[in-house]
Amino acid sequence: MKKILFLSALTLYSIAAAQAPDTVRLGYFPNLTHAPALIGLQRGLFQKALGKTKLDARSFVSGTTLSEAFAAGQIDLAYIGPGPAISAASRGMPVQFLAGAAEAGAVLVARKDSGIKTERDLAGKIVAVPSLGNTQDISLRHLLGANGLKSKADGGAVTITPIPPADVVAAFAGKRADAALVPEPWGAALEAQGHKIIGDEKTVWRGGKYPTAIVIVNAKFAQANPALVTAFLAAHTDAVAYLNKSPAAAQAAVNTQLEKLAGTKLDPRILQRAWARTHFTAALDVAALKDYAALNVEAGYARTVPDFSLLIRR
Amino acid sequence: MTTPPPANDPAHSRPLSRWRVLGWQVAGLALLLGIWWLVTDVLKLYPTYVFPSPRAVWTEISYGLWGKGPQDGKLLWAIAGSLRRVLTGYGAAVLLGSAVGLLMGLWLPLRVTLGAYLTGLQSVPSIAFVPFAILFFGLNERAVLFVVILEGFIPVALAVSGALLNVPPALRIAGRTLGASGLGLMLRVLLPAALPNVLTGLRTAWSFAWRALVGGELLIAGSSSLGAQLEVGRNTANVALVLATILIIGVIGGLFDALLRVWESRVRRDYGLEVTQ
Repeated sequence: MKKILFLSALTLYSIAAAQAPDTVRLGYFPNLTHAPALIGLQRGLFQKALGKTKLDARSFVSGTTLSEAFAAGQIDLAYIGPGPAISAASRGMPVQFLAGAAEAGAVLVARKDSGIKTERDLAGKIVAVPSLGNTQDISLRHLLGANGLKSKADGGAVTITPIPPADVVAAFAGKRADAALVPEPWGAALEAQGHKIIGDEKTVWRGGKYPTAIVIVNAKFAQANPALVTAFLAAHTDAVAYLNKSPAAAQAAVNTQLEKLAGTKLDPRILQRAWARTHFTAALDVAALKDYAALNVEAGYARTVPDFSLLIRR
Repeated sequence: MTTPPPANDPAHSRPLSRWRVLGWQVAGLALLLGIWWLVTDVLKLYPTYVFPSPRAVWTEISYGLWGKGPQDGKLLWAIAGSLRRVLTGYGAAVLLGSAVGLLMGLWLPLRVTLGAYLTGLQSVPSIAFVPFAILFFGLNERAVLFVVILEGFIPVALAVSGALLNVPPALRIAGRTLGASGLGLMLRVLLPAALPNVLTGLRTAWSFAWRALVGGELLIAGSSSLGAQLEVGRNTANVALVLATILIIGVIGGLFDALLRVWESRVRRDYGLEVTQ
């Protein structure tokens, strides 16, 4: 009896929540590849599109923490890398892919005194990625395979270690890592310190034609609030258009947001260089996502490729 | 109605009680698994990506331990890597801890200074030393070993010095009267007399070292380790892998503890400190 009461209370609650959500919870990272989110926040595009519904934007340090919040039902809409998004989908989380956000924008940087000149020199070295199983980790494993190398955990000679991109500068200074595959603007920031880019955004994977950030939505939220999702998508498309139309103003706006979130303002020249290696688009490159899901299986992070026809919201 | 065997008949009561204990243990395990199955597969109280069913966890264990695919068998490698690391660290900790414990037991100034510091240091969770170890040794195995040795060494040192002090004065006097002194007194009288308490310290040290290892491996991923498996499971939203790894960590920790406990209780029984039930 108690249980029935509890369950009906739960149902009532979810119906009430479905009828009028007073807040939309958005997750994103303070990275250049999440610039559409930064612009949407800085220019108030998202709040305008959502009207009376309040926007609750939360920044996360990695796809892992965002994915955990998503699993706990604390996030409705999110900017996230394809890695965690595909992982979430293959574990049966109620996730739908809404739009693209950024492509390329990740580089392989070698510490200046590491003696690494090409990908092949990575044998016996320590390479940092933002986190195990994330977008950069999976492209690094693919890149290693293409050069006849393997990670130490797979019986090879390359140690892959997770270090948050913002901490790679310190890790290089303390010689705790020899190279890093990092998303922008951290690649450009490392380059500005004299470290060498040995693989640019094009050589990392698929000639630079791969998504690094996409927009996802909680499928239950989308089903209950289709109008809000459509409005958000329009605002996101506006933000992407603004990024491509007026890069100078957009860079200033992104820098302001990054300063607010990370506490440090980037050198405009670093941001400019990072910008040149990142493309912003609202289109979803499904073929690249499918390739990515296959790489995810190849790296041993998943056993199955999710059904993309069910995942993509049209 | 059957008559129970007389309680004081060792030939009957011991094997029976052993089987009974085993029976209760199996029943307890079955009950736990049953509740788990009921909550996940039957009632579906939680989504599978939050609390997976026993079957999903079993699938991860079987892929990880005896799977034949190109990416399978990682848990087995992780267990091998972690065991190698913890046994190295634990061995070093026992050697170092025994030496320091002996010195502390013998020399008061060391006991009241270092002994007191170690007691304080023991209350610091091992994970708190990891950032320091990374700065000192780098993101590598040495940093993990440092934390494992530190955590394992403290209980051994404290147990050895405490056990030496707790040796009954009568034994010491008897040893002296029979002509033992110096090193001979230490090796033939004091250490054997301290053995039961030292063994308790070794068991504590094992559980500390094992916990410190997993904590260190979580932050210093790179080579095959159980900590890295936890991190991979977390990063790829694979809760079943996380639970499988937790189970394996628990089983290994428990097995080794049980092994030490058997040794400990055998010694305690031989010393007349415990009466066999």
